[in-house]
Amino acid sequence: MVKICPNRLGPNRIVQYKPRQPALVIGSICAGLLLSAAVGCHTGQSTGAIGHNTQHLDFNQDVQPILASNCFSCHGPDPEMRKAGLRLDLEESAFRKRPGHPDAIVPGHPDQSELIKRIESKDPHHLMPQSPQGEAKPMKPADIAVLKEWIKEGAVYRPHWAFDKPIRPALPAVAQNDNWTKNPIDDFILARLKKAGMHPSPEASKEVMIRRVTLDLTGLLPTPGEVRAFLKDPSPDAYEHLVDRLLAKPVYGEERARHWLDYARYADTYGIHLDNSRDIWPYRDYVIRSFNSNKPFDQFTIEQIAGDLLPAKNIDPLIASGYVRLGASSNEGGAIPEELRANIARERAEAYGATFMGLTVGCAVCHDHKYDPTSQKDFYALTAFFNNIDEKPFNGDRPVWTPVARIPKAANQEAYDRVVTKRSELAGQLASLRSQERVLISRWLASRQHLAQPVPTDKLDLRLRLDEGGGEILKNSAPHAQQASFTIGKFKPQWGETTWLWPDFRMDASTHIALGQTGDYEGNEAFSSGGWFMVRSAPNYTLDNATGALLSKMDTNQHNRGWDLSVEKGIVSVELVNEAPKGLKVPKTVAVPKPIVKKEGFEYPTPVDLTPKDLAPNKPPEKKSSPKKPEAKKEGAKTGEPKAPAPKPAEDTTPWVGIKVSATEPLPVDGHWRHIFFTYDGSGTASGVKIYVDGAPVGVTVVMNKLAQKTIRTQAPMQLGWRYPDADPARETRYQDIRLYGRALTPEEAKRLPFEDYAAEVISKPADKWSRDEWHAVSDFYFNNVDQSSIALQEQIQQLNTKLGKLSEAGDLTLVAWEKPSIPYANILTRGVYSARADRVEANTPHFLPALPSGEAHNRLALAKWTVSGDNPLTARVTVNRMWNEIFGAGLVETTEDFGIMGQRPSHPELLDWLAVEFRESGWDVKHMYKLMVMSATYRQSAKSTPEQLTADPKNLLLAHGPRFRMDAETLRDIALESSGLLVNTIGGPSAKTYQPANIWEQVSHNASDTLHYKQEHGDALYRRSMYSYWKRMAIMPDMDAFDAPMRDAACTRRQRTDTPLQALVTMNDVQWVEAARALAERVIREAGTNPQQRLQLMSELLLSHDPPAPMAAVLENSLAQMQKHYAADPKAAQELVGVGEKKRNESIPPAELAAWTMVASEMLNLDETVTK
Amino acid sequence: MKQHPLCTDTECEPDVLNLPVPSELRQEWAVLRTRRHFLGRTGKVLGWAAMASLLGDRVLSGDTRLQGAKGPADSQAAGPLKLPHFAPKAKRAIYLFMSGGPPQIDLLDYKPNLAALYDKDIPDSVRGGQQLTGMTAGQARFPIAPSHWAFKRYGKTGTWVSDLLPNTAQIVDDLTIIKSTNTEAINHEPAIMLMNTGNMNSGKPCLGAWLSYGLGSMNDNLPTFMVLQSKLNMKEDNQPVSSRLWGSGFLSSEYAGVGLRSQGDPVLYLSDPNGVSHEVRRNMLDAVNAINQQTSQELGDPETHARIAQYEMAYRMQTSVPELADLSKEPKSTWDLYGPDAKEPGTFAYNCLMARRMAERGVRFTQVYKRGWDVHGNVTGTLPMLCQETDRACYALVTDLKQRGLLDDTLVIWAGEFGRTVYSQGGLSPENYGRDHHPRCFTTWMTGGGVRTGITFGETDEYSYNVVKDPVTVRDFNATILHCLGIDHNKLTYKFQGLDQKLTGPTPASVVQGLLA
Repeated sequence: MVKICPNRLGPNRIVQYKPRQPALVIGSICAGLLLSAAVGCHTGQSTGAIGHNTQHLDFNQDVQPILASNCFSCHGPDPEMRKAGLRLDLEESAFRKRPGHPDAIVPGHPDQSELIKRIESKDPHHLMPQSPQGEAKPMKPADIAVLKEWIKEGAVYRPHWAFDKPIRPALPAVAQNDNWTKNPIDDFILARLKKAGMHPSPEASKEVMIRRVTLDLTGLLPTPGEVRAFLKDPSPDAYEHLVDRLLAKPVYGEERARHWLDYARYADTYGIHLDNSRDIWPYRDYVIRSFNSNKPFDQFTIEQIAGDLLPAKNIDPLIASGYVRLGASSNEGGAIPEELRANIARERAEAYGATFMGLTVGCAVCHDHKYDPTSQKDFYALTAFFNNIDEKPFNGDRPVWTPVARIPKAANQEAYDRVVTKRSELAGQLASLRSQERVLISRWLASRQHLAQPVPTDKLDLRLRLDEGGGEILKNSAPHAQQASFTIGKFKPQWGETTWLWPDFRMDASTHIALGQTGDYEGNEAFSSGGWFMVRSAPNYTLDNATGALLSKMDTNQHNRGWDLSVEKGIVSVELVNEAPKGLKVPKTVAVPKPIVKKEGFEYPTPVDLTPKDLAPNKPPEKKSSPKKPEAKKEGAKTGEPKAPAPKPAEDTTPWVGIKVSATEPLPVDGHWRHIFFTYDGSGTASGVKIYVDGAPVGVTVVMNKLAQKTIRTQAPMQLGWRYPDADPARETRYQDIRLYGRALTPEEAKRLPFEDYAAEVISKPADKWSRDEWHAVSDFYFNNVDQSSIALQEQIQQLNTKLGKLSEAGDLTLVAWEKPSIPYANILTRGVYSARADRVEANTPHFLPALPSGEAHNRLALAKWTVSGDNPLTARVTVNRMWNEIFGAGLVETTEDFGIMGQRPSHPELLDWLAVEFRESGWDVKHMYKLMVMSATYRQSAKSTPEQLTADPKNLLLAHGPRFRMDAETLRDIALESSGLLVNTIGGPSAKTYQPANIWEQVSHNASDTLHYKQEHGDALYRRSMYSYWKRMAIMPDMDAFDAPMRDAACTRRQRTDTPLQALVTMNDVQWVEAARALAERVIREAGTNPQQRLQLMSELLLSHDPPAPMAAVLENSLAQMQKHYAADPKAAQELVGVGEKKRNESIPPAELAAWTMVASEMLNLDETVTK
Repeated sequence: MKQHPLCTDTECEPDVLNLPVPSELRQEWAVLRTRRHFLGRTGKVLGWAAMASLLGDRVLSGDTRLQGAKGPADSQAAGPLKLPHFAPKAKRAIYLFMSGGPPQIDLLDYKPNLAALYDKDIPDSVRGGQQLTGMTAGQARFPIAPSHWAFKRYGKTGTWVSDLLPNTAQIVDDLTIIKSTNTEAINHEPAIMLMNTGNMNSGKPCLGAWLSYGLGSMNDNLPTFMVLQSKLNMKEDNQPVSSRLWGSGFLSSEYAGVGLRSQGDPVLYLSDPNGVSHEVRRNMLDAVNAINQQTSQELGDPETHARIAQYEMAYRMQTSVPELADLSKEPKSTWDLYGPDAKEPGTFAYNCLMARRMAERGVRFTQVYKRGWDVHGNVTGTLPMLCQETDRACYALVTDLKQRGLLDDTLVIWAGEFGRTVYSQGGLSPENYGRDHHPRCFTTWMTGGGVRTGITFGETDEYSYNVVKDPVTVRDFNATILHCLGIDHNKLTYKFQGLDQKLTGPTPASVVQGLLA
């Protein structure tokens, strides 16, 4: 017997739902409803509203759906759309008195209730509901009757069913001596059938059973040998043994993973613009491994949402975290980083909502959800969990969009795992230290030892914190400010994409910030300036375009007189100029540091050994046949000149009179914040200039040293991001806490400036006044500079990171998630517009669901644990429902993606809850749940349907007979390959490029895309399971597409199932299928002897798991005879047909014979019975 | 409304009972026509009009086939789709989509005063605080690039047309030129999605899918909605397109566009494999159908019937599609009209000719994509090529439809996803310039059934930068197209995720009355 959790039959379990007893009689109206309502869900509602007048209506099942679909868009949760101040989704607001309005609902008195008056009104202006255009859309009489009855019964509201925690219901009473039921599933199914006056069907034949269950659990057909063994096994446990064997097969994991990849939106390309390839197939293999090892679903979930934050013993959780980054992403040249970042976080929250919560949270992007209680705040608080990953918002069109992990080769795996385990231990210690930040920091403050020292504000002339977050004015908070504030010019900056000390500020387009005569120093005066910068944070960022003036008081109209802090191809320079040529060009004779192309300097998990090749955007493969190489030109590169020459300006021959000092090495190309600062001692020589990055002095080259006491003063204003008036912009650069001192800061002061000074500023205030961001800043300073155990731990971790990099050398790369140290926040975006930032919200779970445990950080790990916590009402229900959908063809809740108010009501609410609780209490045992389902008598029924059943329950939602439906795209191709013996079933690895008609990719792709040309592979790659077929989002495999496989742009939790002529064309004509038919023909000729009946028999056994019934055999034999005659008469046609496909044919079979059999095999492959489960 | 002799649209449901299937099955279907649950299980459908008529009630099929998350709202309560909502002026549409964003200033939006402003910066007051794309965002200057080409007046209407479009110039009196089209998206992906599906994010049904869903098919052996891609010219900057643009979103995937291809099979997998003749295919199908019939009798699964019809329709397409793609019977006058390019499969000219043939055969909606208009640089090098590839073909298609009496009830639409800037991207010289994306105004045109021809609608300022009169948003544009086809854009809805989804989205849109005939 199936293992059932011990407490399943506890007699005193509370039943959450009232038995779905018939509820009321509404005269003749009900008669019309009887048919559909009796079978449930036909109209999506009123499953119980029929029959005897013994029970009350159920609000959730009977009433709420009517209110929701007719009333909530104007009288629901969204305040913007609400009319007449009436809100009907909540009990307290529905009954609230509204001055000047009659009561909408008077419990017990439908006649006095305005709601009823309005829906029954004869006056079209008065009649409700109305469309947004003011058109009346009268309700159905049956629905009106239900509302009247509900009010008559007292208008009782109840919370939405799916948001209540499921509690295991008692099993319904079925007939005592019933010997149909095999496990609790059947009790629920049978009880419901009985209520509808229906009966279950007899058990299917053993042949049907083995085929059905093998397809469901492995996605493949049973072999004739397996069928025979099963048929011969008389033991009562034969079926259970079969199920156990199937669950233990490696192909089981593949089949489950195939479904999961839809839910997780797995694909091999980025999906937008160039739609380039990316490395993430190791995630797919992780999913297969997880199902095969029967990893508990809670662990599986946590690893995917937050594997990077888990204490790990191997690399698997990190690979799993790639789930977060599976969505589509862009690198379109003109794209705006803030918009991309908002879109990415939104995409992830929506995918999470669909797959784990079964909610359409994305509806709250622009406004509070119209039906569900998901508020806009809830939605953005959810996006915040996914908004704190250490990544750029554009993918660089690279297969590796950091962070990525490199997977160790098998030989190094053990050593790697040991280091990971050790690293996790240390990271855990570090985390637990940091979790005591309040205590440790208070102790530190009380000790008054090594407290953070501020940099004296002596001669601080300018301090732009740039924390305004919006508006027109930038405040100068320097105590000696000449000017207390500055007005932003006409073109606005972008605010607040990436939090550093506070939400940031980015120069955009032609944003101009003029700072007046601030910084008007002479060449013999000492001064220092700099701040936090994120240089060039835009798509297609390379060292080459990390160029421009960061801070400048320099007049390009006056031969660049003045001073500035600039970058040139990533190299930081300081210039003090009396005069110099345009662009501060230096003569070629002068030694200028050459930018060294540095590797991306990431820590674990991103390996430090990413080569320039890894990091280069992929190029489109050249197509040999194309006469000309495409002029691949990326949009991002298009700021260059048009092809025809533009007028060349005359060369500027101004001599250099000034100082120029440059760093010897460029900044790393990682898009991270850097504190860049310089000091100048007023000596008039280059040696008086020092440059600091993140507080540490950097090596410099003196490029020019020719100031010779000449003046550097100018009337031009100091500017951010430009040399006056608008030369040499430092494009797309973010700024924070910009300072200017009228003195040379000492090296110690420069060191304190980036972190310590700010911490000192915060701790000068009482700790209870600190904001969360301030706590974070102080905490960072304390743990990085004061707390010796923390410093030691970090050093050890750093060493282990280096080891991990070494141990994973030459391994495969995969995209992963990696959390930034900052606090996850998001801004509510008004109407979903990325630039319309409203309140800043901390990551949090929706308010109408259980709260996160107090005292824990609100990060992805917290979300992950919450997702599978015992209190979460959704995850278990949503997951078992999807399992049910996979096995039975329709979920108990048909809308697998929507358990909200507008979603379908469950056809069997108690069963759903029973399964959900069973799942959780079994320890989230996935195999156990599938076993339960396939062991049930419900599942084992014959699929034969009677006209009565078809009439009463056309969708078979009550399951009066077994499931039968057309198989999914992948399964169809797989069984063609399997039955013909072509299947190459190796598990995992990079995706395969099988047969594809010409010109599919070219038709849609950008010239510069690396998926412009499809390069079909040969040999084994042609015959691998379809789940390994290369998934290009902009053009998925056309044979998969024809059979409703999704593009995987978004999570798809159930596929459409259509039957179109295009599908018949695939299975009749696709080379893959014709080749499979030929191979199947060869196989039966080879294996079944010369007798045609035996060959047909084998073919039938292979595809249908049974002998061909006589009428079928007669048709096939007749067809065979015709085909034989035809091909005997047309040898050329025979030769052509048997030559289809790359697999070499068996030359020993005469072509005419093989061709005839190929057509018969094709007939068999195209049968309704073959393509149907 | 004229009935074209070749058009199979008889204003009534096609009779699927003519399918070559066994007579007993035909009888059974006849009975089933009255039964409401024929295909009623988990949202199965065969697709296209024939199956809808199998159900005898398209609306019912519209409900049962809808996979999407039909809420508890009983969408049957809304009753039949009741389409068309009013007498349509156009029964079909052909959409010539100029992907990449054609530069309106160089084609139809004549700005004579710009010549004097060559290389002057565009005034800040004109640009306003507009967000620019990342591509020109860092430019220090925004110098005005007047069009390199001269404009002349044509037709009775005296419409100004660039020398680049000598053929389009010949039909200006038949066109409805809209200079005030404008969009909210500044980059290709969102902009092209918005034009095609009414939403910047993917996942929504496109115009063609909505039409298929709402109006169904006019023939029973070709798809309702077909998509043609024009050959790439690698000298042009081909922004990508993807099946999202002709996808069905939350509508059933049977409403998605079907590609008519110029290489290989005109419809994917259409051709029988080598060595399989029509006769063999018929034999094979007879066997398959006979066995499926046995299965049907044994198991009583309605889907088995659908399977039989599915295979029969595939078989019919194997004849009808090659006939569609076979140009051998086109008279010389066709080639004289469309030019030699039209003989080369996959050119834009060829696709225009195919669009006419599909219109004749009752294809409801044909979308032709021409990529390459993304002229960030080298306008004088690239734009003449683009115009040469498209100008004559557009003229030929409109003229051809007119001659055949099809233009009266066919709506032809010419549009890209946005316009281009008056200021030069990159360097400017008297010989050359570049133009960046420009969402605030772009020029489109329509002709044929439903629209008032021989007019120019809307105006832009003297820089072709801002709309100054009669703005037409993308929503309005789409609402107007639907109107011409007899559809109230507010009423063609589909319940998904609890909302009455529609092509024009939640923000109010209006049919542009000034464009209507």
